[in-house]
Amino acid sequence: MGEFRDWFKSTFKKCYCEQGNLVDEERFQELVQLVLDGEADEESKKIFEEKIRTCVKSNFTFENEKKIQEQIKTKLCTHKSDLPNDLIQTIRNSVNL
Amino acid sequence: MPEEQHNEDQQQEEQFKKQHYTEAQKSDIFEKEFMVHVDSMYNFAYRLTFDGDDSKDLVQDTYLKAFRFINSFERGTNAKAWLFRILKNSFINDFRKKSKQPAKVDYNEVEQFYNSDDAGSKITTDLRVETVQDMIGDEISGALNGIPVDFRTVIILSDLEGFTYEEMSKILDIPIGTVRSRLHRARNMMKEKLAAYAKEMGYAKKD
Repeated sequence: MGEFRDWFKSTFKKCYCEQGNLVDEERFQELVQLVLDGEADEESKKIFEEKIRTCVKSNFTFENEKKIQEQIKTKLCTHKSDLPNDLIQTIRNSVNL
Repeated sequence: MPEEQHNEDQQQEEQFKKQHYTEAQKSDIFEKEFMVHVDSMYNFAYRLTFDGDDSKDLVQDTYLKAFRFINSFERGTNAKAWLFRILKNSFINDFRKKSKQPAKVDYNEVEQFYNSDDAGSKITTDLRVETVQDMIGDEISGALNGIPVDFRTVIILSDLEGFTYEEMSKILDIPIGTVRSRLHRARNMMKEKLAAYAKEMGYAKKD
């Protein structure tokens, strides 16, 4: 989980200007996705959570990305193809089980 | 079997520590650890090939290989990831080569573009939550099917099947950093497709 610690730090830095305002939303979305995917380490998550608590624009971007991802996931998951009836038996037959 | 294919299969087998299962153990593993994933495997195959018969062939071939190489599988480890890796390799080595229709998009070219430094500034994804809420599964699926297969694959593995970046890295044989960046590019591509579709269909609401 620490694989992205350095990448997170340097990317986070590039997202904000000296005054601490979010200036690169596209790059920030990369961080949001890392957090939403559960791949950010504890230290990075802390930095992230602190920022979205205090920065309205960051918080908006986070919430928007989160909702879009949830919607896409839910709709993709409910749209699955049905397993052909004979496939399981065909597989078992092919390996003599 | 072509020599090249045989060597790839052999390499795949040699990468793992050999087990020595009895016939009864093999059957048990096959039923309890492999067959439980047949639904996910079929869905993965279908989203790669878009064809029912091809998907069946691909899944059947995957299970045949899984049984053949069962001694390379360590019981109790991640069977789903192991099977997905075999299916992905079968798709690349067999299906894509056999397919008469060449890939319409050169994914290396696409990925190169999306990995370039100024790619971020060229991507303007104006997609609203409300727009996605208004869409049905068919439309979202259509957008996913419209992106190049290597990008589609990471979305399937992550968002549909719930694999971690590390698992995806093993399934796809790519570094974990590439998984992260490819997934981000893939999601952007999908958002672009959805935004364009929404605009075309008049879903996108004006402020």
